[in-house]
Amino acid sequence: MVKTRRDDLHALSGCYAVDAIDETERADFERHLTQCSSCTDEVRGLRETATRLALAAAVPPPPAMEQRVLAATYRTRQLPPLAKHRADPARRDRRWVIAARVARWFTGPALAAGRRRPLMPRLAAGIAVVAVGVAVGLGITQAATEHQLDNARASGTAIARVVTAPDARTQTMRASGGGTVTVVVSARYQAAVVTSRAMPALSGSRVYQVWVISSSGARSAGLLDRTGAATPAPSLLASKVTPGDRIGITVEPAGGTSRPTTNPVVLMPVSA
Amino acid sequence: MSRPETRQWQPGSGPGREPETDLAGLLALVARGDHQAFERLYRQLAGPVYGMVRQVLRDPAQSEEVAQEVLLEVWRSASRFDPARGSAASWALTIAHRRAVDRVRSENASSVREAKAAPDLTAENDSVSEAVEASLERQRVGRCLDSLTELQREAIKLAYYGGYSYPQVAQLLGVALGTVKTRIRDGLIRMRDCMGVAW
Repeated sequence: MVKTRRDDLHALSGCYAVDAIDETERADFERHLTQCSSCTDEVRGLRETATRLALAAAVPPPPAMEQRVLAATYRTRQLPPLAKHRADPARRDRRWVIAARVARWFTGPALAAGRRRPLMPRLAAGIAVVAVGVAVGLGITQAATEHQLDNARASGTAIARVVTAPDARTQTMRASGGGTVTVVVSARYQAAVVTSRAMPALSGSRVYQVWVISSSGARSAGLLDRTGAATPAPSLLASKVTPGDRIGITVEPAGGTSRPTTNPVVLMPVSA
Repeated sequence: MSRPETRQWQPGSGPGREPETDLAGLLALVARGDHQAFERLYRQLAGPVYGMVRQVLRDPAQSEEVAQEVLLEVWRSASRFDPARGSAASWALTIAHRRAVDRVRSENASSVREAKAAPDLTAENDSVSEAVEASLERQRVGRCLDSLTELQREAIKLAYYGGYSYPQVAQLLGVALGTVKTRIRDGLIRMRDCMGVAW
């Protein structure tokens, strides 16, 4: 896209307020906002106006939605308030490290760079934020590098859909040898989100491999590293999972194998 | 600033009923993990969130899914709400609108919604009191929409209720890009003044 001139940017305040711009322009405009307080004020007023359009469209929501959302809040960890200063990550609990990184996607680079906050959070990563947050809420404490988290954004949408699905069921099982594995299954999406916690670190070049086991055999759903951490996302998404299948985890050589070669440390039936 | 802007819709807010704590106050409680506060917040926000998402996505199942994600996101990120930057309703509904628009654009989902962008303001009002409350806000918004030029009105409806980007709006209305940008902005400013929106 051709570089937008300043006047053009200013005229975008209306389009920004009703989300009629693409990602690139949104980023440009938000940068502009950090330097233009009159624009910030204008956008705030236009956003409030757009909000009235939403209020006018209110309809009673489906009655069953309330219980689903309220139930989901009990298994969803909340984000901490934004820290004013960056603390030393090594001193904090891993979960908070992840949450702080999530927070940085959420508010955009302006905050990380110490400049004025953009008016509205960057929400493009919002779905990934939900996914990671749910994963955090489920107790996933594995270290995650920035790279992993960036990649997690790509698979975050699918993971978020599964964990927030109306029919999502959460099952947790202790692994033989230590640690726990949590599987969130949605029959509607025929998918399962697998996360592990406190698995014993494997020696040598061995990894944990996740399998979807059905009557027709075992199919690899992906690898966890030697500590049980999923890469790139904090959780692993297994697709084409239907009730009656089982989720299994085995210890395998680095790179994984085409079929399980050891006894599973976890074998969890997927309930309907 | 942080007025309970959904009051017009909220069925429990009529005369003689217990007044709702304002949304910003509820959000502060929710940020501390207060599930009861979230329940009250839900009752105020679920209707506008679902209704608006439905305007954009049309498909009821998808709309419910997105509305659910949005409301859970409100729970998760309540601590990130900053009253200095706008009202609580605006914060939550911005999350909702972005999420709906993202869904439309990521799926390129023209097939799952009708091209028609005007709000379907009569659908699904099976509760009389809710219909009355919502219709007050609708009348106010409708009156102010009527005060715009036709181009301003159509551009705003296509962008907000239709979830179209401004280049798409320009194409649909057969006008230049720059024209759409200024019409949306001018139209919103006029709406803002017409409705006496505080910000």
